[in-house]
Amino acid sequence: MSIIEVDGLTKFYNSLVAVDHISFKIKEGEVFGLLGPNGAGKTTTIRMLACLISPSAGSARVSGYKINENPLAVREIVGILTENPSLYERLSAHENMEFFAEAYNLSDLDKKSRRIRELLEYFDLWERKNDKVATFSKGMKQKLALARALVHNPPILFLDEPTAGLDPESAKEVRDLMYLLSRREKHTILLCTHHLEDAERLCSRVMIINKGKSVVCGTPDELRNKITNNPSIQINLKKIDTKIIEAVKKIDHVFQVDVNESPCSLKIVLSDLNEDTPAVIKNIVEAGGLVLSVKALQPSLEEAYLKLIKEVH
Amino acid sequence: MRFNKAMLVFRKDWIEICRNWQVLMPIIVVPLIFSVVLPLVLTLIPSVTISQGGSLGELEVFIENLPIHIEEQLRNFSEPQIMVYIMAVYFLAPLFLIIPLMASSVIASDSFAGEKERKTIEALLATPISDEELFFGKMLVSFIPSMIVTIISFIVYSIIFDIMTFNLFNGMILLPNIDWILLIFGLAPTLALASIGLTVMISVRVKGFREAQQISVLLLIPILALVFGQISGAFILGPYVILALVILFSIIDFVVFRVGVKLFNREEVLSKLT
Repeated sequence: MSIIEVDGLTKFYNSLVAVDHISFKIKEGEVFGLLGPNGAGKTTTIRMLACLISPSAGSARVSGYKINENPLAVREIVGILTENPSLYERLSAHENMEFFAEAYNLSDLDKKSRRIRELLEYFDLWERKNDKVATFSKGMKQKLALARALVHNPPILFLDEPTAGLDPESAKEVRDLMYLLSRREKHTILLCTHHLEDAERLCSRVMIINKGKSVVCGTPDELRNKITNNPSIQINLKKIDTKIIEAVKKIDHVFQVDVNESPCSLKIVLSDLNEDTPAVIKNIVEAGGLVLSVKALQPSLEEAYLKLIKEVH
Repeated sequence: MRFNKAMLVFRKDWIEICRNWQVLMPIIVVPLIFSVVLPLVLTLIPSVTISQGGSLGELEVFIENLPIHIEEQLRNFSEPQIMVYIMAVYFLAPLFLIIPLMASSVIASDSFAGEKERKTIEALLATPISDEELFFGKMLVSFIPSMIVTIISFIVYSIIFDIMTFNLFNGMILLPNIDWILLIFGLAPTLALASIGLTVMISVRVKGFREAQQISVLLLIPILALVFGQISGAFILGPYVILALVILFSIIDFVVFRVGVKLFNREEVLSKLT
């Protein structure tokens, strides 16, 4: 069942079309990635879904609530991490969390205190809870902003660049948390990111948008397949000779064989990874080759993204 | 409207203001001048002027316009007494209305414009706090401190004035009188609310705090009109005039709040993010 349904969402700023008839659906517990270059319309899309700005055309439902009819109900069930951490620097971390907890109707004193402590401890900020946010590093602010987005335990999260400004260790913590939230706690996450590594690791589906328009939508595998006609494998060998190369080339479904002398390896383009790989290995072994390792070669999501974005230009 | 949500916005902003000297200083300094320095000057200078052969001069016109019972009361006063009485009780009365306006204009200008400048507005607008609650909370945070400052200034002013004039008026306590009580507890809050509402509306529409404050200075013009109106004798801020103004400004407050909420647009606020 779709928890977010977007249908022809459009946003104009005078003559500029920031978002142009975007449509997608997100299932409950899914991490959906919105990828695109700067100015593609990602933040505008999130702002419309969070009822911060109204669409010029089209419609969207968030957990069954229409965004233009019931904005307060939508805001209550959504946690949002904006482009800027949006934290009150003269307030302490704890005061920031308290304010937003109450703003999101978490008024029970016990529950509120427990939730704030749980989140601040998770993000290693508990020791600094009484320090003013102005004294925090960029990474600490980003973690606090993420904790704030989670304070009311929202079923839906809109995260705009959640790992921006974080060191590798903190970025991993955030990725782990997103994984945990979606897989175990069934939170639905709409993730805007430039970090294709984040999208590749976390998103079950991604949509690439450019100049406000949807370029492509699908699983990371589907996107990769879009830019490659045939799969390929790399086989590392003890040594290579012409007998081995010929043995591989004579297989019907092998289209291309590239030889690398040092280290000895063959890059083979074939018709079907599962069907053809055993036959290739068998022929190499029969030709006297010693196979050290076999690796399926797939383009990264980054390669797919760059190629697909370029195609639109 | 949920009052607790408006109070939540108030509390958050209140803590921020208490930690910001740039905002606190004008709120403290202006009332200090009004409530301490002015009564001292106004009670000392007339005594010196008249003792050196000066006269009431143009104050005669003003006295003629006073209500009959005040005029009769003044007939029993000496010239220095009349001058001090008129200067401190009448001339300063409308001038005192500047205190809540000055204090509130700093905070009200900062309400939305400051949040935009500090880039904290987006997360606030994303919360399930309604437009009404947000607008009212922002008005409260300007209104409450400015009224506290005004009332404290009034108390200090009255004490200093009464001490300074104790001998001159042979032990007569002049302040507070009914005009001043109506002025401070009736006209000042209603006038401040109208000004705050308008300033918050300006703050929604501009990019930064300074821009909002520059525009909101224009709101002092009606007060200056009251000051000059009273000094020139065009009208006297007696109890009935003050009550009429309280009713007028209460209506204006209601209209400003409704219009302010109606015109409040989260999208417009975000579009002004620097």
